[in-house]
Amino acid sequence: MTDRLVLALPSKGRLMEQCANMLARAGLVVAKSGSARGYQGDIAELPGVEVNFVSSAEIAQLLKSGKAHLGITGEDLLRETIADCDTRITFLRRCGFGQADVVVAVPAAWIDVRRMSDLEEMAMGFQRVHGRRMRVATKYMNLTRRFFAQQGVAGYRIVESLGATEGAPAALLAELIVDITTTGATLHANGLRVLEDGVILKSQASLVSSNAAPWTEELRRWEREVAKRLAV
Amino acid sequence: MPAEAAQNVEALAAQAQRLMATFMRAGYEQIAPAIIQPAGLFLDVVGEALRARTYVFSDPDGEELCLRPDLTVPTCRLHLARHPTGNARARYCYSGPAFRYQPGGATSAHPSEFRQAGIESFAAGDREEDDAAVLALIVEALEEAGIRQFRLRLGDLGLFAALLDALAMPQRWRRRLRHHFWRPEAFRAELARLTSREALKVNGLPHALVDALDPARPQEAQRLVEAHLEAAGLELVGSRTLPEITDRLLAEAADAREEPLAATTAALIEGYTGLKSPAREAADRIEVLIRPHKLDLGAPLAAFRRRLELVEAAGVDTTQATFAAEFGRNLEYYTGFVFEIVARELGPSSPLAGGGRYDSLLADVGAPARVPAVGSSIHTERLLSVLSAEAP
Repeated sequence: MTDRLVLALPSKGRLMEQCANMLARAGLVVAKSGSARGYQGDIAELPGVEVNFVSSAEIAQLLKSGKAHLGITGEDLLRETIADCDTRITFLRRCGFGQADVVVAVPAAWIDVRRMSDLEEMAMGFQRVHGRRMRVATKYMNLTRRFFAQQGVAGYRIVESLGATEGAPAALLAELIVDITTTGATLHANGLRVLEDGVILKSQASLVSSNAAPWTEELRRWEREVAKRLAV
Repeated sequence: MPAEAAQNVEALAAQAQRLMATFMRAGYEQIAPAIIQPAGLFLDVVGEALRARTYVFSDPDGEELCLRPDLTVPTCRLHLARHPTGNARARYCYSGPAFRYQPGGATSAHPSEFRQAGIESFAAGDREEDDAAVLALIVEALEEAGIRQFRLRLGDLGLFAALLDALAMPQRWRRRLRHHFWRPEAFRAELARLTSREALKVNGLPHALVDALDPARPQEAQRLVEAHLEAAGLELVGSRTLPEITDRLLAEAADAREEPLAATTAALIEGYTGLKSPAREAADRIEVLIRPHKLDLGAPLAAFRRRLELVEAAGVDTTQATFAAEFGRNLEYYTGFVFEIVARELGPSSPLAGGGRYDSLLADVGAPARVPAVGSSIHTERLLSVLSAEAP
């Protein structure tokens, strides 16, 4: 491991572009280095910082284990991947892009289910009629469990879904879903509706610091420098 | 393996052998249910809360399996494999590992892999007698293992159900209150809702639809709901059907027309759930509580008193035992008598043993009807830690 500060940035997709834009606005240019595939980078203005390009989900893992000091990724992934998120990492700054809500959505035709409390009541009836618990399709297993527990909803089972979650109810793979949405158009197109109090998290890309990483005074100086530069 | 751990394994094995000897001497048949269990079944009966603590995995065939988080459900499955109706008298004992993820990190009092030694008794004719027998045998096993001092905590979910049955309210309200009993916050919220005319009103739906729904005419209600969905351009998606949606809307409409729960009734329910007392005084206290309401809880209170007498007669000292109305264990499957045995050294968050009555679990696991069942298990690592601390 180097003695430089490791900054983990998304390696692909829209989040990568938006991060690059943010760095550019701050007058920082990442020069890819290391392997030909360019998974590492340097920033001329910040010689104490080494950039690691990894997938968004992996960034949360690196911050959790302390293999990266800083990282930028979606708050949804951070809170999903890191159970005791607020003690293991520190949120330095919301980046103002990558906004999306993690929501509980049910078939719009369920006019009897408008709030989370209706959901638990509905679950009791569902189990009586179908002889099994209602299923929630999601890739956010931990966020779902925590939120449902807070809301007193217990009569459900999670079905892990790794893509096209919004299609799960129509495909009879689940009765409802927990998924990410920006405009709600995809949910609507699939005949789904967000519950009135069903917003679990208003997420956006965030610059966060790992509490588990090997910090030194020198590295803390670089952390402040990165945070200051990006605060534009 | 470090020498210390190996010593521990030997001590645990010797201890388990003693516990099992006590159980078998009492007539319990030794069984060894499978450690790997079908995940679907477990997760359906124990709920998502325990699922979050269950190690779930897939086999190469894609089958979803789990490491058993307790031995009660596996014992039920084994019993049903032998007796498909479940309704054959049987008493089983077991000793073996169970597995639970510990969200805050595993500790010695809350390990992620631990050994349970326990007993389950199915299809006994006399419930109170069987409750008392199971508790007495667990106490005997602990005492024979060397435990000198412990505290007994008792609860009775049957009393709570009986109280709700005795109070005037729609059956679906009883069902809801019973259902939320496990989650105090949700329970209080539901109770508050049932006492408020405003909160019972249907919000978020056209008044015309709500007013037109008549619980006495479900067929017509279904047509109305169907017409409403069509007019709103809402298509039914998924497995839930129009009659199910209509049923819940009818229940809502009926709630809105219902007289809210009287404040005195809500106060009685809260008073009951808050009740804590020495176990021997509990029945008297409950009688005092319900007297102004002129309720008849004669039979369930007599059962409670009789059970306590049977426990005492079996040689368990109940003078220090405590009763808490809301004590009901964190597993949703208990239906009646519940108990925990707590050692001073470990405190109430890490009981040495726990158990209770679960009359609907066998039906949930596949029996055609409910079967009386009561059981208990000892957390053997905790038992050993208390005994090693006590040893000179």
